[in-house]
Amino acid sequence: MRNFNIKPPQIIISLFLITLVFLAYALEMNLVILFNESLVKLVMNGVLVLSLIPMLNVGAGMNFGLPVGIIGGLLGMCLAVNFRMTGLYGFFAALLFSLVICAVLGWIYGLILNRVKGREEIAGTFIGFSFIPLMNFFWTLAPFQNREMLYPIGGQGLRPRISLENYFNNILNNLYVIRLGDIEIPLGLIGFFALIALFLYWYFKTKIGRATIAVGENEAFSKLSGINIAQTRLLAIMISTIIAGWGICVYAQSYGFIQLYDEPLSMAFPAISAILIGGSTGKKAFIFEAVLGTYLLQSMYLFTVPIANAILIPELTEILRSFITYGIILYALLVRERRRNMV
Amino acid sequence: MKTILEISNLKKSYKGIVALNNINLSINAGEIHGIVGANGAGKTTLMNILFGNPIIHETGGYQGEIIYQGKTISFKNCKEAIDNGIGMVHQEFALIPDMTVGENIKLGREKTFAFTDRLFGRQFSFIDRKHNDESARQTLKQLGISLDPGIKIFDLSINLRQFVEIAREIDRNNLKLLILDEPTAVLNKNDALKFIEILRGMSKRDIGILFISHRLEEVQNICDRVSVLRDGKLVAQYERGEFSINTLARDMIGHIVTKAAAAKRKIPPRPIISFKHFAVEMPGEEIKDLDLSVYEGEIIGLTSLSGHGKLALGYGMMGIYPIRGEVCYADIKLLKMDAKENILQGIYVLPDDRQDLGILADQSVENNIIFTGNQIKNMFRKKSLLPFSGFIDHSQSRKHVDKMIQDFDIKCTSLNQKVKELSGGNQQKVCIARALTVDPRLLFVAEPTRGVDISAKEKILHMLLEINRSRNTTIVIASSELEELKRICDRIAVMVEGRIFKILSPDASDEDFGLALSGEGGVEHEKF
Repeated sequence: MRNFNIKPPQIIISLFLITLVFLAYALEMNLVILFNESLVKLVMNGVLVLSLIPMLNVGAGMNFGLPVGIIGGLLGMCLAVNFRMTGLYGFFAALLFSLVICAVLGWIYGLILNRVKGREEIAGTFIGFSFIPLMNFFWTLAPFQNREMLYPIGGQGLRPRISLENYFNNILNNLYVIRLGDIEIPLGLIGFFALIALFLYWYFKTKIGRATIAVGENEAFSKLSGINIAQTRLLAIMISTIIAGWGICVYAQSYGFIQLYDEPLSMAFPAISAILIGGSTGKKAFIFEAVLGTYLLQSMYLFTVPIANAILIPELTEILRSFITYGIILYALLVRERRRNMV
Repeated sequence: MKTILEISNLKKSYKGIVALNNINLSINAGEIHGIVGANGAGKTTLMNILFGNPIIHETGGYQGEIIYQGKTISFKNCKEAIDNGIGMVHQEFALIPDMTVGENIKLGREKTFAFTDRLFGRQFSFIDRKHNDESARQTLKQLGISLDPGIKIFDLSINLRQFVEIAREIDRNNLKLLILDEPTAVLNKNDALKFIEILRGMSKRDIGILFISHRLEEVQNICDRVSVLRDGKLVAQYERGEFSINTLARDMIGHIVTKAAAAKRKIPPRPIISFKHFAVEMPGEEIKDLDLSVYEGEIIGLTSLSGHGKLALGYGMMGIYPIRGEVCYADIKLLKMDAKENILQGIYVLPDDRQDLGILADQSVENNIIFTGNQIKNMFRKKSLLPFSGFIDHSQSRKHVDKMIQDFDIKCTSLNQKVKELSGGNQQKVCIARALTVDPRLLFVAEPTRGVDISAKEKILHMLLEINRSRNTTIVIASSELEELKRICDRIAVMVEGRIFKILSPDASDEDFGLALSGEGGVEHEKF
């Protein structure tokens, strides 16, 4: 349906990744373990990347306000942990809680973004920045009861890192794992990811989904065709926020900790970077682009750590990571500006 | 008399489309030279060349020679033109609203304190405000208006802004040639007279004036010579007293062989929609007070010079711009303009701005044709037991789109081709096919043949006729292509300044249309 053309960032990252694989092989690292881990990393971060798609396609730009959805997800998980819900049951309870919370947050977020049409990205950034201190206040004061979540001394306020050890740590990672020799394929994890991707695919095939794409592509046209622009945008933003909330749940169960306070701030940029590496223009995005971009970016992160530790100074990994993450976003903005000028 | 400007063999084309062709023109010192022409005749291009608008250079420059005060010139930007003593008063105001009258008049020529000149250099010197304001007041007085130079522009009425703009130009000592682009368009009758007095005064000071206007009466009153442009050519030139308003009107429109495409018929005056004191606030194309009844089953043309409101009607109907007044559609009063509601009621609008409003450029021909029908009327929907599914039944939609492609001869490789890859004419056909899919009772079309090659033009006009005859769809066509309107319309309404000026039969003479378009000739105002 769409001819997929490869752009400079993908070439650079792919070449870099191939070099890394060769280096890892030369340094006699265990490639199979690295591959296993790359699959986990893909899903761990992939859901957050998928969450960007509805907002991009409705024309609300790259969701720099991702922390809004993430906070909804964190709150959902905190509630589940607070009620001492464990295992798969606990995880799905967390998803359910975050669905409700994110729907409300997404609705408010969408109302705000509808008022700043055309400048959603910068507005989203600052909504994220201003929402986080507010939530920091909340985390310290909220009347949570479970002692495992609270500061050990004083017994009030949530810890910055809440361990999921006794709740739903790695619950998806370990669900239906297929072993082919050394290769481990976490079917549960990938299945969950695929379900969300499938939902998005279905959504864009429905009537409202087609209207969503039309609004993103040509708002004036859609208005002339009698589409309710505000409502379409609101729905897409809510879906984005809900998937973002679920994304952090998947991330946390894989990571083993709920990270509160300022942690959500740093989550938006790698996700946006990933979808751009996948080939999105920052105006429109497809599921394939999200998956490809996440896999390339996360595998690259994954490979750089041991290799840089072995042959370079260890700090270099962090430098490379930040440089690539932010550099790609800048690149996308430059390309978009050039396109606008060409028209 | 001394000739200050001599244009010979001037030619200019934009991407192969000829805008000006072999223009020869001269302007003498102290002469008021009128230029008249319909839309697209090349007036604006001529001005842009003379005033050094950078767009001319960016699009490849021009051929021919312009001799100004004895030297061959070719301005690359407006500043060069200004430095050489050419001034221009724009149709849209080139004033800075946040600055005062005095500051605007003196902008770029401020008197500064000599001491700070030396201290910081001219660019960073302090401005002698008192002196500037006093000088601006003097200039305004020359124009016969007393106005406090300390008032900010945005507090002024539109009339006064026009005077400030002209004051800015005559304030310059070196002014030799003044170009006026529709200067009286925003003025009322009295102010226009005053303005013309000022122009006469200026011409006595040996300033050459190029007066571009479509108010033929004014042109007749004040111009020493008049040149008529049509389709980029200079078709006539008259000395004062040699011409009448009627000759100008006829030259403007030109003689056209009208191919009678539509057979004449009598439409019973049964209104399908009627407007009373209808106003649409569309910037630059405002409708001010429209009274019009459109009869069921007719094709009515809507024409005007650009900026007089013909395009705003459709947009107003779809709620794109705020409206006022009363609209009665099929005996029901429409209280608010809601695009979805109106489409369901059988009203559909095809906009003039095809690229920006008419198509989904990145999507397929099929998606473009079925989009509105599917979204609003739930057509081509796959039957399904699941709620909210709403997939498209492609077998059904493809059949429909294939038929449209064949019926209207849309040239595309397949129905999956992206619309942006089609030519303008075929894009327009896709738009019309989309409108047909929703099967409206009342269709508004704006500039259906703009940017379309000749063969596609015929096809599109034919499509519109066909829709009207076979489905009894009432069509309102807003277009500046008078010749096309005459061929397919049952009635043609001419708008001037956001009002219906006259409703003419397509058989009316070109002279009548020319006069009506310019808002001239107060022949009995038909009541309708």
